[in-house]
Amino acid sequence: MQGGACLDFAPMSALQSPARGRAGGFADWIGAAAQRRRAVAEAFVDTFVAWGYDYLATPLVEPLETVAAGVGGGLQTQLFRFMDADGSLLALVGERTVSVARVVATQLQDAPLPLRLCYAGPVLFNRPPLGGRRREAMQAGCELIGHGGLSADAECISVAAAALQRAGIDGVQIDVGHADFVPSLLDSAALDPAARERVAVALRDRDLVAVEEALSGTEAGDAERELLLTFPTLRGGRDILDTAGARIRAERPRRVLAELAELWELLDHDGISGSVHLDLGAVRDWDYYTGPTFELFSADLGFPLGSGGRYDRLLAAFGAAAPATGFVLHVDRCCDALLRGAGAQPGAGALRLGYPAERAREAAALAARLRLAGIAVALDLEPSAAGGDRPVADGAAHLDGGGALLWRWRGRDGSGIESLLAARNEAAG
Amino acid sequence: MSGGLRIALPGGALFADACRLLTEAGVAEVDPARFERQLRVTAGEVTLATMRPTDVPVYVEMGACDAGIVGKDILWEQTRDCYELVDLHFGACRLVLAAPEGSPLAEGRFPQSLRAATKYPVAARRFFDSRGLAAELIKLHGSVELAPAMGLADCVVDITATGRTLTANHLVEVAEAGRSSARLIANQASLKTRSDAVNRLAAALRRTVTAAAVAGAAG
Repeated sequence: MQGGACLDFAPMSALQSPARGRAGGFADWIGAAAQRRRAVAEAFVDTFVAWGYDYLATPLVEPLETVAAGVGGGLQTQLFRFMDADGSLLALVGERTVSVARVVATQLQDAPLPLRLCYAGPVLFNRPPLGGRRREAMQAGCELIGHGGLSADAECISVAAAALQRAGIDGVQIDVGHADFVPSLLDSAALDPAARERVAVALRDRDLVAVEEALSGTEAGDAERELLLTFPTLRGGRDILDTAGARIRAERPRRVLAELAELWELLDHDGISGSVHLDLGAVRDWDYYTGPTFELFSADLGFPLGSGGRYDRLLAAFGAAAPATGFVLHVDRCCDALLRGAGAQPGAGALRLGYPAERAREAAALAARLRLAGIAVALDLEPSAAGGDRPVADGAAHLDGGGALLWRWRGRDGSGIESLLAARNEAAG
Repeated sequence: MSGGLRIALPGGALFADACRLLTEAGVAEVDPARFERQLRVTAGEVTLATMRPTDVPVYVEMGACDAGIVGKDILWEQTRDCYELVDLHFGACRLVLAAPEGSPLAEGRFPQSLRAATKYPVAARRFFDSRGLAAELIKLHGSVELAPAMGLADCVVDITATGRTLTANHLVEVAEAGRSSARLIANQASLKTRSDAVNRLAAALRRTVTAAAVAGAAG
């Protein structure tokens, strides 16, 4: 055999140990990947908090009844479900908005509105393994509850964009649509109920061939039908609202267009309209969303980085009717996007500090000082005999017998604490 | 014209027609012979990859390809989050319920219990459910028509283009359960972030298959 590396595998008997397996669709996060994932989640939550959203932690487990009150049957079947001691059914959460809504309707029912809340945590999906899809994902998101105006929708879009930017994800495209646009077109397109249902199902399944089939041979021969057929191309800048408006007479879809025009203005004030595409064909869960919706995309990834929208009906399901809007960001997908884009950065490990036995006390004090200055330090657990040699490996430092610090860090080397702190400030600045 | 798109092509029965369609539509000059030695070929600005038909929706959903060509019969069986953009009209076939000649089912009487062999359990289940029929499905991976002959099943739910295989195995069509043809599918993010290229691809293919249908009707 030529050319191939030869891996020295352990004997099969050792590999077959059942205690070493990992469930399909789950991942371990190690080293730079783990650090990146934590940094992304922190950047998100830090952004949310900076915009005035209070951090909230909800449980990983909810009664299935609670989950069912909030989301439709579609998501429920994708949850890990199990039985509580009393026989009632529990589920591992597959999203966290329902939990936030439950808290708002109970512990926070007397809190003054609007409420700004944010969260970050794992969610789980009981999908079949081997499909390439994750079964555990980290999600971070915001909910803005108690304000029905477009300024709330615009704020959510701006917060989401700011969070992605803070995490170092560039070139994000924001697709803004409206949950009522397609339904209002369907209602005004003179379709009989059966045909309307067929078109709606086909749109939800993203099957445009079936949309065409369902529309052919119906009464709808007007502009609305043409719009429904050209649905995937109904995307673009502010001008598509005028293009669509010129072709629509019915009042309800026109009201949607007016709302989107106003939302566009607000996003323009926030300085992010340059990243916004209006997507009139956006088809999201109509039973859940009630107003503007949005999705965030990176050119490097086949899935949305995040999504959100107005959901004015959810709180009523918990007996505390209130308008609400919010969004979720998918931390793991954002890490994928960072890895594929130019934003990938190897995580900087800790500085390993060695010392001779007689300098142990001094080394501990030095480590404490460096940590305060923001340098991660791992102190050797045993003193080493190494004398005045300069450290060879990056990220290594030691005190020599005379108490002088020699270091090599992030591709540079030097001696003395002050020069190390200066290098650190340079790296940070 | 389709700047940098990655397109998944199904190997097997649809492959030659898919290559011909892409060439006729002016998407890329695709010579099937180039795929004899490699699975991935660059033609003009597009990258083409060939794979088992069942894998096309996987590559497209996961964003490893922006778009793909695949039979509707494959899409029935998978829950994949892709956009289905254009009916490409080639590779037409039907999903039918077929039973042995002379059996009660072949004469239109549904027995109380029914065992059906199929390679398409999802579509078959949807068909039986939509008609309120209780049938036990047996998933097979090939030569489904053998199952009734060997007493494994009472009937089959299988794809047929000409009906010849059914006839040769003494099976008669009882009902149609679906119609399939090749489809253009697209990744959800590619449709948004590369919408111009994806829409151009869809429009070019749509134009070509429509023109072919018109010419076919005229000839």
